[in-house]
Amino acid sequence: MSIAEGAARVEKAEELGEGVRAALRDLILTLADCKRVLGLRYSDKMLGAPTLEAGIAASSMAQDEWGHGRLTYALLSEFGDDPKGELEHGRPATEYRSMGPLDRGFRSWSETVAAGLLLDTALTVQYGALLDSRYVPVHNRVQKLLDEERFHFQYAAGWARRIAGVSVVRGEFAAALAGYLPEALRWLGRDDAESTQLLLSEGIVTQGPSALRARFLRRVGPVLAETDLAESLGVTQVDGGEWRCDATLRWEGWNDATRRASGVLDEETAARARGDKNRAMLLD
Amino acid sequence: MKEPVYEVFARKAREEPLRHIGFINATDDDLARVYAWKTYDEQNWAEMCVIPRSAIIPVDPGESQFVTANAPATEDSIVHARATGAYGGSDVAIKGDA
Repeated sequence: MSIAEGAARVEKAEELGEGVRAALRDLILTLADCKRVLGLRYSDKMLGAPTLEAGIAASSMAQDEWGHGRLTYALLSEFGDDPKGELEHGRPATEYRSMGPLDRGFRSWSETVAAGLLLDTALTVQYGALLDSRYVPVHNRVQKLLDEERFHFQYAAGWARRIAGVSVVRGEFAAALAGYLPEALRWLGRDDAESTQLLLSEGIVTQGPSALRARFLRRVGPVLAETDLAESLGVTQVDGGEWRCDATLRWEGWNDATRRASGVLDEETAARARGDKNRAMLLD
Repeated sequence: MKEPVYEVFARKAREEPLRHIGFINATDDDLARVYAWKTYDEQNWAEMCVIPRSAIIPVDPGESQFVTANAPATEDSIVHARATGAYGGSDVAIKGDA
């Protein structure tokens, strides 16, 4: 994939204006924190998944997410941060910018699959907006990540179809989807946020929040329709074209930089993310 | 409903032939692709394919590793042999279907 034609490439963060630079740092840190915590949540399902293959895949996906997190944190060394020090190993839970719905672990297999389908896809769609970024370090790293995420989506879609056909858990799955869907849509951000406008106008991202929400719905809409749960979630396809969702997105208390409205990651999860337990063995 | 067996084939380079590397159980083709890729990830495969075991037609059932050795050797099974798997794995029954 090529960088948008005619756009001047930016090789170093210092070449960016102050406002764009701050907005890009916010986006990268938010993405990295989401990946790290999502990896932890997947890792909790390595054992106890419905089938051995599902557990192995969850384990591999957890590794993928941690790899993506590491790769994303590493981008911040260009912004004056110390990824392998303070960022990955020194921040308290209150400073984590992971998605609000990931503050709590998955309580069921239904929640795991719903999160894979909706939260993981929202992340992937946001990374997709960086694929053609004129900020070269980001552009260079995104393709491999998106390739790996294809399998995450297939996994979630396959299990969504499976769970939706099991009467005893269908209701639980529908409830999990209903809880995560507005969160995933909101997480893609506000169109009129100043930071978003800057990133878009500077060609750092190629799509804004509404376009990403449309792309997100194009991806998950068909799966929700296959499970016959789309309508109850307010997701519809208009005349065989675009997908829409009538969920109301609530922006009270929303922080555009952290993409959170309230709550905080629990300290125990943050300790796992930081690797506190084996800190003595941390090598440079 | 059953979770059928899929055979997994892969090659490390384009010029190599596909070779059989194992099997997985999955409820559908999409999950079979994911499980195969995630389970047999010890190599940097150039290509990987999954094939429902039931789709494999052994040319010589007597020599095929994909046919259960102790399956009844009826006239019909000789003429219309389908893969059932002699070397491991079988369809897994799923409970709790709607």
